[in-house]
Amino acid sequence: MTFKDSLDRTVTIPPKIERILSLQPEITRIIVALGAGDRLVGLDYFLRHDDHLFRIIYPQESRLPVVSKPDDSVNKELVVRLDPDVVFASPSEFQAPDSIQRSLGIPVIALSSLGHFDKLLGEIALVGAVTGLEARAQELVAFFQEKIRPLSEHAASVPPEKRPRVYLAFWSSLTRTPVFYEPVNSAGGINLAENLLPSSLGSVQTVVTLEQIIKWDPDIILIQGNFLPNERMVMVKQVLEDHRLSSVKAVKSKQVFYTFGFWYWWDPAEVLVETLYLARMFYPEKFGRLDLAKEGEEIFTKFYRQDGAFSALWKLLNLHEWTRQ
Amino acid sequence: MSGQDSKKTQLIFLFFLLLPFLLFVFSLSIGTYPISPRGLIRTLLSAFSPSSFPDIPSAYRDILIRIRLPRLLLGLAAGAALSVSGASLQALFKNPLVNEYILGISSGSAFGAAISIVFLGRAFPSQIAAFLFAVAAVAAVLFIAGSAESHFISLLLTGVIVSAFFSALLSLVMFFASPYALQALFFWLMGSLSLASWKDLAISFPLMLAGLVLLLLLRWRMNVLSMSDEEARALGINVRREKMLVIGATTLITSAATAVAGIIGWVGLIVPHLVRLMVGADNRKVIPLSAAAGASFLLIADDITRGISPLEIPIGIFTSIIGIPLFIFLLKKTRKVWL
Repeated sequence: MTFKDSLDRTVTIPPKIERILSLQPEITRIIVALGAGDRLVGLDYFLRHDDHLFRIIYPQESRLPVVSKPDDSVNKELVVRLDPDVVFASPSEFQAPDSIQRSLGIPVIALSSLGHFDKLLGEIALVGAVTGLEARAQELVAFFQEKIRPLSEHAASVPPEKRPRVYLAFWSSLTRTPVFYEPVNSAGGINLAENLLPSSLGSVQTVVTLEQIIKWDPDIILIQGNFLPNERMVMVKQVLEDHRLSSVKAVKSKQVFYTFGFWYWWDPAEVLVETLYLARMFYPEKFGRLDLAKEGEEIFTKFYRQDGAFSALWKLLNLHEWTRQ
Repeated sequence: MSGQDSKKTQLIFLFFLLLPFLLFVFSLSIGTYPISPRGLIRTLLSAFSPSSFPDIPSAYRDILIRIRLPRLLLGLAAGAALSVSGASLQALFKNPLVNEYILGISSGSAFGAAISIVFLGRAFPSQIAAFLFAVAAVAAVLFIAGSAESHFISLLLTGVIVSAFFSALLSLVMFFASPYALQALFFWLMGSLSLASWKDLAISFPLMLAGLVLLLLLRWRMNVLSMSDEEARALGINVRREKMLVIGATTLITSAATAVAGIIGWVGLIVPHLVRLMVGADNRKVIPLSAAAGASFLLIADDITRGISPLEIPIGIFTSIIGIPLFIFLLKKTRKVWL
């Protein structure tokens, strides 16, 4: 089988894939969602040491050896010992895919969604094809699209001037922001930093001046909430009390909230819940009755077939606090 | 010195002493948010009498008073501090290649900031950790170099070694850092005035001011310290005490500047050289002019970063882009380096 990856590399893999090494957390989560978790032979450093979600959705993760180091370099000797049929890597560690493929002769597929739903769904389909679990992949893609459709349709009916103008503060900094973040668009908002950098650069994020935030005067400010509460470097309370932002509409009207945000790219179930959560926030008159706890549980159960995964995440991130509006 | 030379020096003095003030006023109008000159003046006046200007948009006040003013003051103070620090240490070590970070301040403070950002999170402000470790790095250099005050080359070498040690520790911390903490750290390492707030200035500004005043008072003694130690002693100078005073003051101002603005490179090397190329090596002129020129240099670099785009581009990039070609040009023109 031959695939084209995010780096435009053509990768040929053997017909039967029994042993998978994923160094890309988003793909690892998709593999687990497809029901191919038992084919994983190793984990990356982030999922073992920094991610509090993965151990909830895949408790068996502790059996897997960690193959990469905190700096994203890979223990190649361990890779040889684990003998994977295919390796998934992130294109942002651009040297890893070629280096592993060249030195070990194992096919490496580099993938990431970069904040786009079509790329995320494309990844699910591709991993489904690689693992021979196309039907399950199609089921998840259809489920995802079905959940998003009413939100996107509603968003399309709202004229741009009526949509909430949103600023996103991600990556532990008030001024670091994603230049594309589809959950905001699908939920009917406008990401003010969208296309701030030319898309040809392929950039995911940038750092803006505080003056630019004031100039934008967002209706809503969203802060990356995927960190554990005691690890959050930027907090809602802190932004609301920041005198420099006191003239900003979002601060004056106390429209500053947490959202999930990236977490080494996405968790496909979490980003779906996030989009529903944002739609409820942006259009309470239309989606205010949406029961986030119930929807979240349904989505996580659909993806991970694990009861209680969403309520565990709810408790970990203190979602009760930030979904109370 | 001929009368014409003296007049030229006086003019240079006047120009450079006025420049930071002119730039300061000009810089108030630079930024992503457009504010007319009239709006600018009215907003500044409204700080003293808010009731007289009820129609001033609150965004103007936030931008001018809470964002631009502390940022410009930090730029002035940090520019002066880094430049004077470089000039003083170059005179002290009798070496034109010495910069303000030679005694391990940059790697010490970077390690402190890294520990705070990566492991301590919100629990311990990175500015305080950066300051403490910068001072600790210099203290380690002085302790290890021991009684080497008469052989300053030992002090320089120890500075290089301690810097390397803290750099290794920094790499170790970065190795274990999560990608999210690393991004915050990288931004700090590249230097930026964007983090300036009145709260930070309340601590760092008095420290920088005190150290700068002390170094300005010591400027004539630096001329004596630039001679051999024997000559300095013959002139009645307590060499050890004076050198320690200079090192203490430069450590104080560089650490205070670095803790708030991150590591901004080249200021302490380029500015003093430019000043010496213009007025000669007399520290009585070099030190005050370095303060004025350093403050102006950093303000110009920051104006460029704030003026060209809504993105927060680290200022360290511009200090190198502007400073290095300027330095090469002047070096080529005069074909000599003063010390």
